Amino acid sequence: MQPLNAEERKRALASARKPEAIRKQRLAVRYHVEDFDVQERPRRFLEAFAAILKHTNYRVALDHYVRVGAKCSRCTTNCQVYLATGDAKDIPCYRSELLLSVYRRHFTISGVLRGRILGDPGLTDDKVQEMAESFYNCTACRRCHFECPMGIDHALITHLGRYILSEIGIVPRALAVSVREQLLGASGNTSAIPVPALLDSLEFLSEDMGEEKGIDIPFPIDQEGAEYLFIPAVSDFLMEADTLMGNAAVFRATGDSWTIGTGYFDGINYGLFYSDHVLEHVLRKIQAEAERLKVKKILIGECGHASRSAKFFYPTYCGGKNALPVLNIMEYTHQAWKEGRLKLDPNVVTEKVTYHDPCNIARPGWIVEQPRELLKAFCRNYVEMTPNRRDNICCGGGGGTVSIDEIRPYRTLIGGRVKADQIRATGAKYCVAPCANCKKQLRELMEDQGIDCQIVGLHDLLYKAIVFDRPGGEPSGRVA
Amino acid sequence: MDAWLEFGRGPLFRLSFSLMVLGLLRIFLLTFIGVAESYRRNPDKIVPWKEIVKRTLGWLAPLGKLWSKRPVYSAISVLFHAGLLLVPPFLAAHVLLWKRSVGFAWPALPQPAADWLTLLVIATALGLFLGRAADAGARALSRFQDYAWLLLLALPFATGYICSNAAIGPKAYRTVMLFHVYSADLVMATIPFTKIAHCVLAPLSQLVTGIAWKFPAGAGDRVAATLGYADRPSWAQRARLNGAPAAPAPAEKEARTK
Repeated sequence: MQPLNAEERKRALASARKPEAIRKQRLAVRYHVEDFDVQERPRRFLEAFAAILKHTNYRVALDHYVRVGAKCSRCTTNCQVYLATGDAKDIPCYRSELLLSVYRRHFTISGVLRGRILGDPGLTDDKVQEMAESFYNCTACRRCHFECPMGIDHALITHLGRYILSEIGIVPRALAVSVREQLLGASGNTSAIPVPALLDSLEFLSEDMGEEKGIDIPFPIDQEGAEYLFIPAVSDFLMEADTLMGNAAVFRATGDSWTIGTGYFDGINYGLFYSDHVLEHVLRKIQAEAERLKVKKILIGECGHASRSAKFFYPTYCGGKNALPVLNIMEYTHQAWKEGRLKLDPNVVTEKVTYHDPCNIARPGWIVEQPRELLKAFCRNYVEMTPNRRDNICCGGGGGTVSIDEIRPYRTLIGGRVKADQIRATGAKYCVAPCANCKKQLRELMEDQGIDCQIVGLHDLLYKAIVFDRPGGEPSGRVA
Repeated sequence: MDAWLEFGRGPLFRLSFSLMVLGLLRIFLLTFIGVAESYRRNPDKIVPWKEIVKRTLGWLAPLGKLWSKRPVYSAISVLFHAGLLLVPPFLAAHVLLWKRSVGFAWPALPQPAADWLTLLVIATALGLFLGRAADAGARALSRFQDYAWLLLLALPFATGYICSNAAIGPKAYRTVMLFHVYSADLVMATIPFTKIAHCVLAPLSQLVTGIAWKFPAGAGDRVAATLGYADRPSWAQRARLNGAPAAPAPAEKEARTK
């Protein structure tokens, strides 16, 4: 990897914020923040911390991490941010220590006693600022967790740190505004798409596919009792038409019943990135829609964080053992292909294709081989990046940072630096990134790093290769 | 000096040893109970048990992980741990002491093996110390205890080696033995209160992390209520701009919670 030079470092770390805003908010971070209370920030931070400890399970993990942390620095080998900057403050363990030291000082008996005896003033405003900066440098990709002999999950600390900060008003405006629209706004989704606009664009896509493939490929709307409630990242409706067409085409080929609900159709859940409170309320919206339409399963589109937040937190918040099963569309497509219900033309995609594992679905070992098997079935020239699968490198826009436009230079020069090298080394024409966040980040990364590689979703390519059985019996083949 | 030596080997040893055993037992149980309580509190009972066990075992015997990242440092660390765990309980002289004291014993290491392992611990402790000091990342993370522990752990090994191998006079022997006994006592007494607690907690780490990602339902609402923001959650446009009244007083907050 090319080391970061001085000019790049300056550009990546520069703030797009107005100096007077930074002064007024007394917060020197690179992301925009809404106006908030700057009075007694440390006290309010500790109050929020205490309230969260009281009502959640974090205390056990914090106690444990505080006791076992050996500071072995092994995580330095696995963090793509630290590998790019080499700054000590970007070491995962260093970042976690920011919050763990507050926990130790204010929430353990020995810490409180030591603080009293040594006259340690405790949490200061500077330290709150340092956390506000540091926790949004992390992409919460959880790769460092694999290298920690003590099993510390630094992304959990990042998540908690951001949660506490959000309770005192420190949260990137980009995320806060989207969540507000999703939970309180008239449109009820992060991209503020009104239902008529949604229906229009789906109709348009359907017509498009009809012309292209010669058969009717519908987007079923509000079908009560359907097998699957399909919930993609809402931005797919605006920006990833090809992915959506691929999704619909798969269902057309398999013939399973599915539906998009007009009551709620947004898989994006920024709560996974910064607040358990948001996480729960967004999932409750999915639950309400699933109950309204009496569907049997919840199917999340090509999006890493939407999939993880639903798969791993839907049972917690929406019914425990009785919660509806959650699937990712790639699992569904893979299953259908294995069962022979989906036929793919192996000669359609001849260009070199590589696959980027989105952290949120690959790291837990959940969706790793399924997309590969699918891609190998219809891409003649498939290559792997190294490292890959569960040990993949984050795109550099994880943890919600991709939505923060003002930190784009940071993301493409630092966060995605290792990834850019990885993709460049494959020489691929297409990089398949089945995640709305990864796609946006990787496109910006390709642009800023000057790499000629097209970032697509899995279903974008799959759409080209699907073979439909026509009513007459002969396959439709490829329609140019 | 003999009285001091007897004190170190007798009452002080018993105290330190008890502190170590009881202290470690305490934190192990606390962690275990905490995990069980977290599991009970959240409605999601789907836990990746297989994954947790696999990772735990993987780190307890990290032979497969050594060569991927930082092979030299990792190898040194594993050898260091092997020596640390084997020599103190299985040294022939220690086994004999146990037998005299409690009446039963276990097989001991052959003396040459124990000697080599002792030297290995001293060498690897110094290696880890230098590695920590030389690597910029490790240096930035290191606290006082991270350096001090390596030296403190090497001390009883070095003095023990001198006592059993060096041809020194009885007076020098007693002096060195005094250091041996007291440093070992200090090690044992402080283990539960420092990072060395990982000797019993590390096997629980993957479990703790696995369960920590299970959030209790309704916690976010309760947090907001406790903080007095139930009607203005974090995603609402807060009217808490500069100059607005501060958060409600504790009494008011409690009332809201109820």
